[in-house]
Amino acid sequence: MLGCTIRTASLLSWALIVTVADAGVPGVTRDSIRIATIQDLSGPIAILGAPIRDGIVMRLDEENARGGVHGRRLTIAVEDSGYDPKKAVLAARRLLAGDNVFAFVGNLGTPVVMATMPLIVGAGRPHLFPFSPHQATYQPLQPLKFQIFAPYRDYMDAAVRHMVRANGYQRVCLLYQDDDYGLEVGRGVESGLGRLDMTLVERTGYKRGATDFSSQIARLRAARCDLVVLATVVRETVAAMREARKVGWPVDMLVTASGYSAQTHELGGAEVEGLYGVSVLPHPYPGTDTSRRLGEWIESYRTRYDADPNVWSAMGYQVADIFVQALRAAGPGLDVAGFVAAMEGLETSRDFLGGPGYRFSPDDHLGNRRGRLARIVDGRWRLITDYLD
Amino acid sequence: MIQYVALAAAFALSALVGGVDNAFAQAAFVGTLALAGLGLVLIVGLSGQLSLGHGAMMGLGAYAQAGLVGMGIDGLPALAAAATVGALGGLVASIPGRRLGDLGFAMSTLALALVVEEGLLRLAPLTGGAAGLVVPPLTVAGWRLASPVAQAVASLTLLGAALWLVGRLRNSRLGRAWRAGRDDEVAAAAVGIDVRHARLLAFVCGGALAGLAGGLHAHWLGFLSPEQFGLPLSFELLVLVFVGGVRSLSGALWGSIVIVSLPQAIAMLRQALPGFELGAAGLELVAFGLIVVALVIWRPGGLRPEGR
Repeated sequence: MLGCTIRTASLLSWALIVTVADAGVPGVTRDSIRIATIQDLSGPIAILGAPIRDGIVMRLDEENARGGVHGRRLTIAVEDSGYDPKKAVLAARRLLAGDNVFAFVGNLGTPVVMATMPLIVGAGRPHLFPFSPHQATYQPLQPLKFQIFAPYRDYMDAAVRHMVRANGYQRVCLLYQDDDYGLEVGRGVESGLGRLDMTLVERTGYKRGATDFSSQIARLRAARCDLVVLATVVRETVAAMREARKVGWPVDMLVTASGYSAQTHELGGAEVEGLYGVSVLPHPYPGTDTSRRLGEWIESYRTRYDADPNVWSAMGYQVADIFVQALRAAGPGLDVAGFVAAMEGLETSRDFLGGPGYRFSPDDHLGNRRGRLARIVDGRWRLITDYLD
Repeated sequence: MIQYVALAAAFALSALVGGVDNAFAQAAFVGTLALAGLGLVLIVGLSGQLSLGHGAMMGLGAYAQAGLVGMGIDGLPALAAAATVGALGGLVASIPGRRLGDLGFAMSTLALALVVEEGLLRLAPLTGGAAGLVVPPLTVAGWRLASPVAQAVASLTLLGAALWLVGRLRNSRLGRAWRAGRDDEVAAAAVGIDVRHARLLAFVCGGALAGLAGGLHAHWLGFLSPEQFGLPLSFELLVLVFVGGVRSLSGALWGSIVIVSLPQAIAMLRQALPGFELGAAGLELVAFGLIVVALVIWRPGGLRPEGR
């Protein structure tokens, strides 16, 4: 029954794509391709939105400097949602009808993505690589939806298994944000432990925005945990580590990719030394051990934006790069159906940013499910494993 | 009259630049926020109370609507139920008013807003929690209101009906009691008006309008998550009524136009400015703030200051 529904939805979507293609390809002219992105440039996650936008724009400009894709220049319309889905819906409608864009790339924020995605897909435009962990961004399978950001559950499962096997932990515990994010991470941790015939020894939650973790750390310490998995974001990661060290508890901690940020060691300093983290894309540090290509990229970013790039800039750059690769593969006679076919056959290789290779197929529109482990050593994240299965 | 001509011209320009769908989608959101704003005009402007949690009433209506249509109930009775849930929220919000002074009561409405947001987050089996809830398009008697035109018509029709109804209420015995209590509570009580009861009814009516607005809003957005109905929305609604004119019923409509359409106009203008095509962090927010401040200084009574 479900398969029948998916097939019907798929056929309807293709019919829509063909209709759009027959009416002329939106956003595509003989010498240009116009795309769009909806970012948060003024709301609560503007700190992510600006570097993502900069990374995307930088990659498109690089391609334009080489003459564009099949002779077409790439232009982008950037809209600021302020993390408000109402503004995002209006922006999406304006971009679909007024700007007539070809595709949306890297829209930011779950409420924004979930409110705009049906409009975008309903208008027959590709919805590519949104910055949202929501499963609906790639499931159920729909021809126009593609995602590259690994779900928390999948990569935390592998990360916890690796940590336990490598370091012999016996008592794994969880400190989690009391929302969907925390629950998803918890499921991944339990799944990983279950595959090792282990269970979580203790779990304790906190409300988003909490600053005091003394009771949670006391509870975890009383349970004699030897590894604490943190389903936290940057500030809470630092606060939890700081509290543990303050009470003289040298327990190992592992944070998700939400805590894998340069801000974590910039804010935490010596107190977050030794923290383990999961990385889906490495932070682009300048330095002697940086590859020549990455060094040039960092310098180019700095020159262009007068700021250091961070992991969000790299992610923005990467989503634009995958889009460009798919455009190339789609060939000069670009239309939506051709682009989708090219996406479904796309397999990218690992690049200078250190990301995984992304692979899409007609049956799977999630390009990556893996993360790798890193650890803060001497005030910066060092990668300690390859991508984990 | 000239204001309405300017409004029609702005709508036409918006449709020309941003597309017809965008213009009607704006109209749909203007209608729903104006409905919620009208409820707040009733509470703040007519009955003289301050509510800092009106967004939560909208949230209750939105989630009630999503839950009921999810159970297969037709959109129209579901909207009636959403308004009822909003009214119940208003009733609960007004209870501390019997014991607390003005400021204390305002703070209690703020506390209720926090409780509602937290409750929506915690009741994950019903509300979807932080993962949110997908809401299908509004369907009324088999007619699916998925297009922005249909949504705008629905919003503005209900707004028109609500404006007419609240206009009648304002001039009724209850409306006179609201205004008397607002202007002089002691004098009103001296002539036999049960001011507390009248104020409670203001919250119930205001909550019903917010619940109804929330029900529509849920469909126009298509996705609900608890943080959408947090304190920022309540403050946005307060800005809306003060910009529009807190004692004027049509002020809710004008305030809503400012809140919804002004940022859109600024965004379109920004796209046309060389050097700003790629967005400048906070530019639109700053421009919006400056215009609202200018409006408050220029028209301290709101865009539609008339009213009694």
